Amino acid sequence: MVKRKVAALEKVDADLVSLQYKIRRDPKSYTQEFYDQWLAYDAQRQIFISAPATASSDDVKKFHDLVDLVAHVADLYPDLTAPYATHLKDLLNRHHAILDPELREKVVGSLVLLRRKDVIDSTSLLTTLFPILVSTPSKTLRALLYTKIISDLRESNSKATNHRLNRTIQTVLHNLVTSDRTSSKGIWATRITRELWRRQIWTDAKPCDVMKEACLSDNEKVVVGGVRFFLGGDKEREEMEDESSGDEVDLRKVKHQSGINKKSKKRAKAYEKALDKVKRQERKKKAPHPLNFSALHLIHDPQGFAEQLFQKHLQNTKNKFSLDNKLLVLQLVTRLVGLHKLTVLSLYSWFVRYLTPKQAQVTSFLASLAQATHSLVPPDAIEPLIVKIANEFVSEAAASEVAAAGLNAIREVAMRQPLAMNETLLQDLVLYQRSKDKGVVMAAKGLQSLYREVYPEMLQKKLRGKAATIGLRSGEVKLRKFGEEDEGGIEGLELLVKYKEEQKQKRADQAQADGEDKEKDSDDEDGFNSSDWEVGSEDSDDDSESGWIAVSSESEDDEPPASKRPRTKSESEAPDLVDGEDKEKEDAAAEADRVSKLATTSILTPADLAKLQELRRQAQIDKAMGTTTSRKKKELLAKHIEDGVTAEDIELPATLGKKTTKEERVALAKEGKPSREEHKSTQAIRKAKKEAEGKSSTNKEKARKKNFLMTVGKARAKNKRSLVDTQKTLRAHIARSKSGGRRRNGL
Amino acid sequence: MGSSNKKKKEKKKDFQKAKLKVGKAKPKASNFTDTSFKSKSVVVNQQTLSTEGSDPIEQFKSNLSLAVTGKSDNQRRDALAYVANQISAKPPNNPIGTAGLLTKLLPLLSDGSAAVRTQLLKLFRILPPSEVKPHVEKILMYVRGGMTHLSNDIRSDTLNILEWLLEVAGDETVSCPGGWLKTLNSFSSMLGWNPSVGSAMTTKGWTLAAKTTLGSTKGPEARTRQIQVLARFLQVGFKAEDPAPHDPTAYWDNIYRLPRAPNPFAYLNLFGTPRDEDSEMYPDRTSRQRIFDMKWRIAISAGMEGAKKEGGAVGRAASALDRALTEGHGSQDAGL
Repeated sequence: MVKRKVAALEKVDADLVSLQYKIRRDPKSYTQEFYDQWLAYDAQRQIFISAPATASSDDVKKFHDLVDLVAHVADLYPDLTAPYATHLKDLLNRHHAILDPELREKVVGSLVLLRRKDVIDSTSLLTTLFPILVSTPSKTLRALLYTKIISDLRESNSKATNHRLNRTIQTVLHNLVTSDRTSSKGIWATRITRELWRRQIWTDAKPCDVMKEACLSDNEKVVVGGVRFFLGGDKEREEMEDESSGDEVDLRKVKHQSGINKKSKKRAKAYEKALDKVKRQERKKKAPHPLNFSALHLIHDPQGFAEQLFQKHLQNTKNKFSLDNKLLVLQLVTRLVGLHKLTVLSLYSWFVRYLTPKQAQVTSFLASLAQATHSLVPPDAIEPLIVKIANEFVSEAAASEVAAAGLNAIREVAMRQPLAMNETLLQDLVLYQRSKDKGVVMAAKGLQSLYREVYPEMLQKKLRGKAATIGLRSGEVKLRKFGEEDEGGIEGLELLVKYKEEQKQKRADQAQADGEDKEKDSDDEDGFNSSDWEVGSEDSDDDSESGWIAVSSESEDDEPPASKRPRTKSESEAPDLVDGEDKEKEDAAAEADRVSKLATTSILTPADLAKLQELRRQAQIDKAMGTTTSRKKKELLAKHIEDGVTAEDIELPATLGKKTTKEERVALAKEGKPSREEHKSTQAIRKAKKEAEGKSSTNKEKARKKNFLMTVGKARAKNKRSLVDTQKTLRAHIARSKSGGRRRNGL
Repeated sequence: MGSSNKKKKEKKKDFQKAKLKVGKAKPKASNFTDTSFKSKSVVVNQQTLSTEGSDPIEQFKSNLSLAVTGKSDNQRRDALAYVANQISAKPPNNPIGTAGLLTKLLPLLSDGSAAVRTQLLKLFRILPPSEVKPHVEKILMYVRGGMTHLSNDIRSDTLNILEWLLEVAGDETVSCPGGWLKTLNSFSSMLGWNPSVGSAMTTKGWTLAAKTTLGSTKGPEARTRQIQVLARFLQVGFKAEDPAPHDPTAYWDNIYRLPRAPNPFAYLNLFGTPRDEDSEMYPDRTSRQRIFDMKWRIAISAGMEGAKKEGGAVGRAASALDRALTEGHGSQDAGL
């Protein structure tokens, strides 16, 4: 659009901006002027609509300005401007493809402005913008509409969840995805849903349903959008939450600064803002934790969904998805199978084709296979796959990398379904620990240690190890039959019991020491201390290291000590084995009774449940790791609980003992260091960084940079001083340094 | 020695096998060309190589575009003058036709420079009336836009254009869609005789002139002119229709001949958007009178009485308006 320069006089004459300002200050007196402009707007609209494609740039400019004016004051003259919103909607609906980009943006912006001034409601705005978002060929318009839609949805859900609006929009998205399965329009449904899921605006089952339909679409892009959501949406949500809670404000610092610096309105405002933010964060911390389910758990009918996904995108030979996208779908299917323990038998035979070392991205296939295995999969279905992996990957002829990956994959599969392994194969595979390659050795040892735990009979006697042999003899290590499950109960409840007892003990000790009143003590014994109810309330207790260590050190064996003692006795004294066993049973029964009593006699508060989960996880990690470094522990903790097996897990042992290349080492060294485009000293980089942050240089720096001619006079005068003057200066210097410098620091 | 070693290495490089890794995609060949992108258009930097354009048609077109997009006022005015010259020449040189010319030039109606607007009016006066008639509706849109413009100068200059339009195509002006009621709306807003926003206008002053606070008010001259043009507009609207001369073939023409006028069934509004009351067309005198009585007679009469009392030029113009009104009304009575 070519803009003509406006002459000064004309500017004064036809200044819509100043008119807008005046109208807003005194709408009643300026009714006539507004009415004039309304008529002008109407005329201009007529001109524009009569030939929207060929409108001259002048006309477009004029129309643009008038639209802007009317939008800003529309709320002041509701009866005059009643048809305005409809006009804009019509204009956008009909001509969005040919409108001048600037004007188009203005029209969209005006509609949003009307929404903000409550002239129109959210539903009508979104139902206008959404079809255009889906159909417009312009990228900029799409980007604009997308941000506007998201921000409007956010805003209307900010105070309280607007269920009606959400339902409407979710239905629109659902229809968009299901109405035409071949079109790529569904991609917008997935994008919007994902964004709102990430921001925790939508957390229920309906958006998951939309995504489910997207996964079953025929269009590759839409499918990938849906699949990615299920695979990564929840992680994204958590990261977003961490991020938003991450930026802490140091209130003390702000207060201190406002005390030192010059007092100005701006600084006062900054302090108020910081205070407000801190308060908000406090409130957020105290607020009950939103109980958000992961998207994978909210899926309705996972069995049907997994089957459909598999048949449609993987089993179907006519499907032309790229390998990467197929792998994504496979990951989702196997995650569903593993998580919900589904039975999709054809999946396992489908895998056979892909389990060769030459297959591209075979480690991802192996990881998916491991993911798809669970205790309820018939061992017959998996055994041929294990045999195939062993034949294809694990042989003397295969590269060590390949063998390590194969062994590791077998271990991952066997971990989930130990019955799928046959004895000869296992014994053969375990022998690979004599290989020269470190990765292969580690993978084979991993397999061995797995079977020591779950099914030691399969291993050769000499490879069983002490603990497994003892366990076998005492009958403690038993193979779980197919389909066998633990007895019902709350997993890890005994840990909680123990933890509670410890806490009680500690409090009692403290009470004794402090001589506290009895009242509170009795309150504690009830276990209904009101402060224990909230999830966050026990955090202060957890943070103290003593509580942690006490729990972890005792639960290392994952077995209550009461039952441990008699067992060792029975082992050493063979004669009264029967007696001992009886006693053991009794003790175990008593223990079980005590544990179940907690669940039946008291109500587990949310805080208890949170603690229980934590203890369970800690115990699991301790058991798995034994005494490992804190770094590894942290890594394990960091891993999302519902994370599936990834290709990296399979490739991990192969990387052991490998020398890193120079590039990798350089990249590793560079990590976390300031970027260095050119050759520069560290100090220079630091200085540049400081400058970029808007901070000033040091006094030293300033003195160094001072113009020479400004300093030379003083330097000369110094040399010409009389002896007395010099003495005076030196004395003053000493006195000053004693009193804390010119600024009187420390006084 | 060093150089030979280097050469050896270089030679070796050609025959080295790319290392394949398990689980990784095969490395791309060195001569691999990425063809996955698609291009929707190809941009040619130099569109034309010939630079001579002394062709009169080209010159006309370039002047026309200069008249619309020229940066300086003088440039635009001169370009307009050139175009006017070409049209008035005998035979007229107008390669793009009146319709194209109007489309291009109408936005200039609200041009910032007075000289350009005057020149534009001159140019319009040269245009053959028969060719202007089909485009009245479009011109009226711009006229209405100009009549409600913020700048007073542009408003009064637009009235000149309206006057010209009433001269060359009076009937079409008052009978085209939106031509009657919408133009009256604009007039009332211009004069401040407005019943729909009356609530805010109750403050009494000695004059009933619109309290335009923006721009410079030109005083009674502008107001006189506005009332005069309104009177003229109403005269044309209420003019008694001449009975069509008897045409013996009219009946058969109606049945068998294709209509010659553009858009002969406009009143049916077959393909346009549905019209509201304001943008409806009022093709005959009685319908115009009816809608005028319904919506505007009271407001305009009241405004007129006020203007009469002011006396002077405004008062005179108001009496002219009164005459136009009574004539229109009287002949309506006579017609009934």
